[in-house]
Amino acid sequence: MSCDYEEDLTAYVDGELPPARGARLRVHLDTCADCRATEALLRTTVARMAALPAFEPSPASRRAVMAELDALPAPWWARLKTWPRPAVLVPAAGLVAVLAVSLLLTRAGPGAPLALEDASVMELAANLELAEDYELLGLDDMDDLEVVANLHELEVTR
Amino acid sequence: MDDADSDAQAMLRVAAGDRRAFARLFDRHHASVARFAFRFVGNRERAEELTQDIFVKLYRNARAYQPTARFKTFLFRVATNHCLNEVRRGEYRTPRASAAAPDGDDRDGWDREGPQGDRPDAALEGRELERAVGEALADMSARERAAFTMCRFEGMAYRDIADALEASESAVKSLIHRATLAVARRIEALQTGTVPARSRA
Repeated sequence: MSCDYEEDLTAYVDGELPPARGARLRVHLDTCADCRATEALLRTTVARMAALPAFEPSPASRRAVMAELDALPAPWWARLKTWPRPAVLVPAAGLVAVLAVSLLLTRAGPGAPLALEDASVMELAANLELAEDYELLGLDDMDDLEVVANLHELEVTR
Repeated sequence: MDDADSDAQAMLRVAAGDRRAFARLFDRHHASVARFAFRFVGNRERAEELTQDIFVKLYRNARAYQPTARFKTFLFRVATNHCLNEVRRGEYRTPRASAAAPDGDDRDGWDREGPQGDRPDAALEGRELERAVGEALADMSARERAAFTMCRFEGMAYRDIADALEASESAVKSLIHRATLAVARRIEALQTGTVPARSRA
């Protein structure tokens, strides 16, 4: 059978055809013997499907599925939930601190230059150098100390 | 709260890891999924395996569920995709009932015993009908088989089947029509003793 309405017949039998199209099909069925025969065949077939024995799964299925779920590794989002607990967070924070300090010490190394970014460290270094000069000269007069402090000016003019 | 809403709520709890909510969903729907799988592969043991795999997959993919989609539609989308993938991979070949084994001894083929097995007259009709439907299903394309099974054995609406198959309603209408007609022709042939032409697969 080749008819424009043929593909609508099963949907019509199932009550799934839009009302307007269903109305047109009803009119068509009055004039088309082939479609009427197919519609009757489809209705009988659909009704017979209810007579088929239903498949009943085994009760063991439930146990098998639950056992399989138990064996699954916890998903990442479930593992993440355990992080905010103090028992996990405190040791983790300690470990991070130890790692950070170790990393800094490793980067500095024994032969690394002294960090001079700190102003107080620079001032201390300058004063130590001046004190060494005083000791070498054996000076104890404030005027002499001033001369020593200005030695670099003499060196430039020399 | 109706069943659809309670299923959706239960599924949201499953997504948060609630095993008891999953167990309730399993108890409510596993027979439907098993029937679907059985019609899909035509073998009881394989249907059981598929059903178990589908529910484990459902649990693992619970976070993909959006409550805007009906739970049963989501479940059957998971079930259909799983069955289609397994059939494509060849692990679960759809058995074809052999005309050479008309007495139902073909244990790899469609199971033919019905609940009326101890009533010979009724059982004959049940087995013959089961055989005709099984042969027709085996000849169909996988999508026709899925659409037919959801429609005829689960009573799902065309719109929900379209959602499950990720197809248009118009495509589903064609799939169900071709499949139902194929089954009808097979039953007709059984009654008249002729062999019908194979449907489009």
